[in-house]
Amino acid sequence: MNIPLEDDEVAYLCGRTGTLAVVRTLGQFFYLDTDSDEIVIFTDDDDLLVASTFEVGERARRGLFCTLYLIREMGSPLIVLPKGHPASPRLKTVVSVGEKTRIKCDIQAGTHPEQDVLCGTGELDGVEVLSAPGGAEVKNFAGVVIKEKLH
Amino acid sequence: MCTVGGGPDIGDVESIAPKGYICQDCGNKFKGMGRRPRCPSCQSRNVKPTE
Repeated sequence: MNIPLEDDEVAYLCGRTGTLAVVRTLGQFFYLDTDSDEIVIFTDDDDLLVASTFEVGERARRGLFCTLYLIREMGSPLIVLPKGHPASPRLKTVVSVGEKTRIKCDIQAGTHPEQDVLCGTGELDGVEVLSAPGGAEVKNFAGVVIKEKLH
Repeated sequence: MCTVGGGPDIGDVESIAPKGYICQDCGNKFKGMGRRPRCPSCQSRNVKPTE
């Protein structure tokens, strides 16, 4: 499935138990901040920001929208919590940056920074979101796609 | 990469392998990942690896 994405568009991949949201990075860079270090993540024009939540419906889409808006439009850094931090179970969205994202349901949220995996619900396990010229190519997804403006 | 918007949770940051860079225009030193590095301070692409 190919999903064309304008610069100001977000696409929601809506499942029955979880939701993904996708925007293009537009070649921007993003800060990844730990308690002791700062790393700059550089992207290509067609790379993607993918956010995932374990919720569905309007509330889920609004949350993902805000997450992606904060990161891409407002330059909010990705603040890294150490493994086992007590806030981890309460975090509502996870985010992937790059040319490829694979959804896996059996990983601990946020513990795979070196890989192209992102945690999601079991229903979305195996979904792949790949960068493509002017949009995204999505594999192994059979749900509903909703697009809206990211502004 | 699996991070969380607002409060990203990456437990194994040591496994990330960023490169060190220095900007040839403004002298800014930074760590980065990706194919097209540029200085996050002055936006210049005139950067070189430091290692």
